Amino acid sequence: MTGGARGFYALDLGVATTSAALIGRVAGRLRLLGALSLPSGSPVDALIAALTDRFAGADPDLAADLQTDASHRWPRLTARSTPAAGLAVIAATERSLAPLVLAGQRTGWRVRSASAERLDPLALTGPLLDRDVRAVLVGAAAPAAADERGALGQLAALTAAAATRRPELVIILAGAMAEQAARFEASQDRAGGVLLGPAATAGTPPGTTLRELLTRVRGGADESRPAFALGIGALAAALERRVEGIEIGLDGGVRVHAGPGRSDDAHSLQWAVHASGGLVPTEPDEASIDGVLAWSTVRLDRHRTRDRLRDLRLVPWGSVAGEGATFRLAAARAAIARLVAATPELSALPPADIVVVAGGAFAVAPGPAIALAVADVVRRPGAVQLAYDHARLLAPLGTIGAAPQRTAVVADMASDLLVPLGSVIMPQGMRAGRSGGRLVVHGSAGSSELELLPGGLELVDLPPGETAVAEFQFRDAVRLGTRGRHFAVDVAGGLGGLLVDLRDIPLRLPDRPDRRREVLAAWQEALWMGGDR
Amino acid sequence: MSGPTDVRAVRRTGPVIPPGIELVPARRLVEPTVDAWLPLRPGDRPRVTAGQSVVPGMPLADRVRDVRLLDVPARPGGQPGERWSAPAPRDGSGRPRAHSEGEMLFEANGRWWIAAGDDHEPVHAPVEGIVREVRPGVGLVIRTAGSAVPGVLALGDAARGRLEIATDADGELRPRSLDVGSAGAVLVVGARIDAEALTRARAMGIRGVVVATLPGKDRRDYLASEARQRSAIHQLSPFAVLVLHGSQRRPIAEAEMRLLERLAGREVGILGSPPALLFDPQGVPPELDRPGTVHVRSGPLAGRRGQWAGLVGPRRFAGGTHLEAALVRFAADPPIALPIGDLERLT
Repeated sequence: MTGGARGFYALDLGVATTSAALIGRVAGRLRLLGALSLPSGSPVDALIAALTDRFAGADPDLAADLQTDASHRWPRLTARSTPAAGLAVIAATERSLAPLVLAGQRTGWRVRSASAERLDPLALTGPLLDRDVRAVLVGAAAPAAADERGALGQLAALTAAAATRRPELVIILAGAMAEQAARFEASQDRAGGVLLGPAATAGTPPGTTLRELLTRVRGGADESRPAFALGIGALAAALERRVEGIEIGLDGGVRVHAGPGRSDDAHSLQWAVHASGGLVPTEPDEASIDGVLAWSTVRLDRHRTRDRLRDLRLVPWGSVAGEGATFRLAAARAAIARLVAATPELSALPPADIVVVAGGAFAVAPGPAIALAVADVVRRPGAVQLAYDHARLLAPLGTIGAAPQRTAVVADMASDLLVPLGSVIMPQGMRAGRSGGRLVVHGSAGSSELELLPGGLELVDLPPGETAVAEFQFRDAVRLGTRGRHFAVDVAGGLGGLLVDLRDIPLRLPDRPDRRREVLAAWQEALWMGGDR
Repeated sequence: MSGPTDVRAVRRTGPVIPPGIELVPARRLVEPTVDAWLPLRPGDRPRVTAGQSVVPGMPLADRVRDVRLLDVPARPGGQPGERWSAPAPRDGSGRPRAHSEGEMLFEANGRWWIAAGDDHEPVHAPVEGIVREVRPGVGLVIRTAGSAVPGVLALGDAARGRLEIATDADGELRPRSLDVGSAGAVLVVGARIDAEALTRARAMGIRGVVVATLPGKDRRDYLASEARQRSAIHQLSPFAVLVLHGSQRRPIAEAEMRLLERLAGREVGILGSPPALLFDPQGVPPELDRPGTVHVRSGPLAGRRGQWAGLVGPRRFAGGTHLEAALVRFAADPPIALPIGDLERLT
């Protein structure tokens, strides 16, 4: 904090949601004093004023102590989401195109791709002249492979011609294509600029360097999803735990995996932003409709599902009461599933100790229902704590430039930062059709015992702040981190308590839509009081 | 961290309105001007230049229907996007024969690559305005002369006609209700319309339809019908559909409907990109909401407008959701709590 301010505001300006959090220094520590989220379009200053007034009304003494009447001079940490923009990716061959496309997709661009191997120059020119395309990535291996060398000159000429017509286009020449930079000298004073980038596989892990460049081109230093990744990295460093972050917004999603090392180290922090991980695709296709229908507890045909998705895209905060809330959470589940499917490299990493969910997709659902949604889709055998970035703080805190300072602020706020949703224990390999064993939960108020029924979802009441030891005695050997029959797991409470998830990994649901809805509704009913009504 | 601004000043200045209403997102009911976008593809031939005035029906470009790629020896000069034509060959009697011409794409290895075609169809100006920008192969922008009511989707060509109110805001126009007397008109058809009625309207010479919502199935059926018509006959008369609010049935919002009623009988246009209803604002003074008016943009009361009665903070709504809410009074009824996400202000 600067200028003697006793607090600051953390702002997350999403495509659909505007969030503000009020943070003050209380008894030598940074504390979250309040947070408010509203549809984007709500003026930020009005949001901050309402938030501050609400806090001052709730605790006038502390407000006076913090001098909130001067809070209009407090600093603001701002993260903002840039709507996903178009990136045309072209290369000489399909083989060299694939890693370039992956780099574009993993950095949140809406990618249109084409190769000279498949298309003629006229068809290749089309995407470059499309006004929805903001940047062009034209690349080759370094050094160029034998089968692409002959086409590089023509590709560069074609791209340079498009750059002349569209001065606002950002041109990125990657790998051996950078040798063609002389062709772009005539257009050096263009608004868009010509950038030389590394090959698609350069860096450690491979692809890191090009992805960093594409991330910079897509948004500024305050871009929300990369900042969220850095925030997760800082959290992992502060807690010295492995943390996975999943953020789902209207126009994209990010999945982060952070180890307890340095919070900005590429080895301990890996992440991918995907436009396909957004709550609602720009134009829902058949696959995205199938994805939502698979999770929907609302009886809808395909046409009405498409209509609801289109309207959700137009007015993301509209009609979110009643059925709308459960439909929105079904769309969020589908978005998480798309994001997980698009990031197999992150699924291959060791399981996280804590999974943090965030984003406007979850803004209207109760905490326990969010926990179930995550457990439904992110299915890995083991035990994990779930938490929710309810005040949307991680992205704004991730914009703090210096890694040590970022980690220090996150560590200072660790107890306020997240709402604990609960713990999920997910064994794999239980045999269906008979009792799978017994569970005894040893908590501060005593012990409770329950039978483990394969395929079921057991809930144990364990409030936020409580810890317990869950002692499992399985009839047969299962996989729960390691393989065995007897496990004792430390668990932490949360809004959803302890979820003992004995369902299949991956989850298998009935094929018949009505039966599937019944099963989903039964699971959800236990965690969403009044849902669907 | 960014520099601070005075958040209190926002509340101390401006017109006196009930506290909290500033949290409700605001949008414009009428845009004073619009930049219409008409896409062009490589090979298309623009027929206007930046700064030129255009009127509806004026040819803007020739769209090439059979674009193909040529490569010709490079010659000095020439820029991508410029026109190219082959030296006119002559027949045995010395008269010039038809010759190729097209758009220069790029130069490589001593040759120019050209997007060329022989078969063109004209693209006409949908609106009156001034051409702001012409980018061969990309598109052109026309700054329209009129004001615009924004919609969320437009189908078909840009079209013009006399505005007629065919139903009330919550009505629905059936195919058999269409009247041939409406030929040449742009009809306001209420909450929704189906593909059959749209197809019939086009066949009857109606120029356009303004509707609150169009379900995805009807949208797809109509577009398929239009595509069939296009492949069967050479050119269709202009017909456009403007969707004001979305896909799921709801009435036309009160504010929009009142404006449409005031525009009835006037010449209006439907624009595709951005989707909007264009009109001449002369003689249609803006009708401003009185302070404290809010409009319901979604939910069961979508389309209605009421008076802001104060912010109430988080409230539990159906489905067990807790949402920031406000009290809104409709007519003389007691105020009811609505999620702020369902509200908007119109300016």
